Amino acid sequence: MAEVSLSAQHLVKRYGGVVALADGSLDVQSGEVVALMGANGSGKSTLGKIITGAIVPDGGRLLLDGEETRFSSPQAARRAGISAVYQELSLVPDMTVAENVWLANEPVALGRVRRRERKEQTTRLLALFENTLGSYVGPDSLVSDLSPSERQIVEILKALSREPRVMILDEATASLGAQQVERLFELIGDWKAGGMALIFISHRMEEIFQVADRATVLRSGNTVGEALLKETTQEHLVGLMIERGVAERRVERTADGGKTVLLETEDLRSPVLDGVNLQLREGEILGLGGLQGQGQSDLLLALFGAVPHSGTVRLAGEEVHFSRPRQAMREGLAFVPGDRGGEGLLPVRSILENLLLPSWSRYGALLDMRRARRDAEETSRGLSLKMGSLDHPVSSLSGGNAQKVVLGKWLMRDPKVLLLDDPTKGVDVGAKGEFYNILSDLRQRGVAIVLHSSDDEELLGLCDRVIVMRDGAVRRELSGGDLNKPALVSASVGAVADPVDDPSSGGPV
Amino acid sequence: MSAARTSLGPRLRRVALRQSYAFALVLLVVAVAINFYLQPNFFQPGILSGNLLLFVPLMFVAVGQTAVVVGGGIDLSLGAIVSMANVIFVSLMGAEPSTSRIMLALGAGFLAGILAGALNGFCVAVLRFQPIVTTFATSFIFAGLALYVLPEPGGAMPSGLVGFYYTNPLGIPVVLWVVAALLLLWGLLRSTRYGTYLYATGGRDLSAFVSGVPVSSVRFLSYCIAGLMASAGALALALSTGTGNPIGGTDLMLQSIVAVVLGGTRLSGGQGGVAGSLIGVVILSLIQSIVSFSGAPSSWQTLINGLIVVAALAGPGLISLLGRGRRN
Repeated sequence: MAEVSLSAQHLVKRYGGVVALADGSLDVQSGEVVALMGANGSGKSTLGKIITGAIVPDGGRLLLDGEETRFSSPQAARRAGISAVYQELSLVPDMTVAENVWLANEPVALGRVRRRERKEQTTRLLALFENTLGSYVGPDSLVSDLSPSERQIVEILKALSREPRVMILDEATASLGAQQVERLFELIGDWKAGGMALIFISHRMEEIFQVADRATVLRSGNTVGEALLKETTQEHLVGLMIERGVAERRVERTADGGKTVLLETEDLRSPVLDGVNLQLREGEILGLGGLQGQGQSDLLLALFGAVPHSGTVRLAGEEVHFSRPRQAMREGLAFVPGDRGGEGLLPVRSILENLLLPSWSRYGALLDMRRARRDAEETSRGLSLKMGSLDHPVSSLSGGNAQKVVLGKWLMRDPKVLLLDDPTKGVDVGAKGEFYNILSDLRQRGVAIVLHSSDDEELLGLCDRVIVMRDGAVRRELSGGDLNKPALVSASVGAVADPVDDPSSGGPV
Repeated sequence: MSAARTSLGPRLRRVALRQSYAFALVLLVVAVAINFYLQPNFFQPGILSGNLLLFVPLMFVAVGQTAVVVGGGIDLSLGAIVSMANVIFVSLMGAEPSTSRIMLALGAGFLAGILAGALNGFCVAVLRFQPIVTTFATSFIFAGLALYVLPEPGGAMPSGLVGFYYTNPLGIPVVLWVVAALLLLWGLLRSTRYGTYLYATGGRDLSAFVSGVPVSSVRFLSYCIAGLMASAGALALALSTGTGNPIGGTDLMLQSIVAVVLGGTRLSGGQGGVAGSLIGVVILSLIQSIVSFSGAPSSWQTLINGLIVVAALAGPGLISLLGRGRRN
């Protein structure tokens, strides 16, 4: 294979006023594995997507073999020899493994697909992962019959079938078993030796040290450092990933751990959750931290009875099992989803209707509209909603105020437990502040709150305790003095030591 | 889940997905049995092929519908396209046309069908309109055009062509020729890249898109194929009746969907095929004769067709409900 070099220089990507990537740089060449690292929102996915052509940058340069290029689509990048391993995104479930691996890349003769050749090639590719796949997995297996890890391997083979010069593995090991990861790393070694350049995006510190030669670290959209992994330590890398400075404390932390436990789980399991134990006390904000997609949303959905789960859940000491959100709602649970438009609101209906939607049953068979309106007015005052009138449609509100309506409609039911799934994502700073005040008030009134946030500052600023999740399980609980940024980031990426104890990570944090 | 993990499970599922007409075959046997009981001489070759000849237009339309449905869409305008192409064929041809006149009429009728399909495809694939609403709306355009071309039933097809339609070329009835040709064409289509793209697009369009499948073109072309097939159906209709009818294709819209559904093709796309739809057409013809032999009013036929579609729509939901019940 010919030599290849890829160089991303000072790439910029903005979404409206939000800068996803301010100054992203990365170099990789033949025979090398570069790990791309960064905390939540550091821009590492954005950088990866620019390289694979999924996102067009607003500025900066991309050099392939020293020549400036620009990819308008993933296909364009693929033609240039850059393949990405997606997380199950590119598979069609009702098609066979062979059809999926060669989709849009079929061997063709006289306009007809050469099925036998396709099958043979697929068998050859599958042989690379021999003994790590179920015995039933063959070129003619339906993808929908495969386990998640086997599907992930099909994704890897699909990227490989295009004989790429540069391969990007974005969290490609997340759903693989230990044996499969080991095999993948052996293969990566072979591909490297064959002249391939690889970019490895992973949050597992251990794997990065195992497979990568070099690490490039992003922080707040900027490439902040590079290190040869042979010459560096986990502590140093975590140090690079962390913003200096102390998070602003928005809610006074309460010291008394003696309050009554309201909600408790034991060995909570679902396809995503891997035995979660937690305790939630009255008047407490419990944060769910960790990198994105580690089961935080699933945990909230399971508690709310919206996804099938097993294990024990106790509410005020009594065992409960919610298989439907309605049951959870009856017991005083409320769930505020993160995706405002999608799940939380009816945009064209009035604010009044939206606020009252979960509560109509309290206003009689023939609705007592006067009382309903009075309650809605009270709630909207409590939220300090900035609106024309309760009768205006929700779509007339700003993003932050709309999100307050989502919260408000559940507050009208006086919940005992409030489950928040990344509620301030995409909300402007001013509205966030008001949102925090509302949460603080609720906490004073004894409401137990579980807050999942992709914003680490928010977790540090609001929560009494934070549990850090990784791969569907609670890996660490942080409270009191341990609740700081370095500890949160180290626990998120699975670094063994706490960088605070490491003098080389530089100064007090 | 674990049951599907045995060595036999996935293979059976694969066969069921690919040869999704297994259920249709069972229905076919049942329908044949009932027919045989009601009307033993129904299955004399002459009567049978004569009966099925009436369903040749539907065969073409059902094949066109299959292409669209597999690609993840639906076409409610195919009946109207049949009407439109039908009156174009008849009014341009006349009873005693010259050869060039015949070619002109054939060209115009097929072109009209393809253009109609292209309009649907453009709205759905390029403008991203909803297929159901779009094709329902365009069906009125095509129906209107049909009435403009030929306001009332009438006209005549050349008797030579009509006569040929009722012969048995090489001793094999026309119906069988049609079925063989359609299966062969579909097999060819299936073996091209386009065939794979069509199933991928209907199966999960986002996955197909990120894999590099030109999803919009694939969808667009599926509607064009349907338009072409509707024209072929219109020609068969003109030949079987010998005359033109501006509303002659109306019933074919629902019937084509019923045939697709009976044939085991999932309305959500990405699975199924033409063999099933053709079996579906035969089942439909048998149901029709059961209704007429049993002495029930013919309006029952429409009612039954409607019930079949509703049952098919409810099917997947019911199955997953049952599955969930078992898991709990």
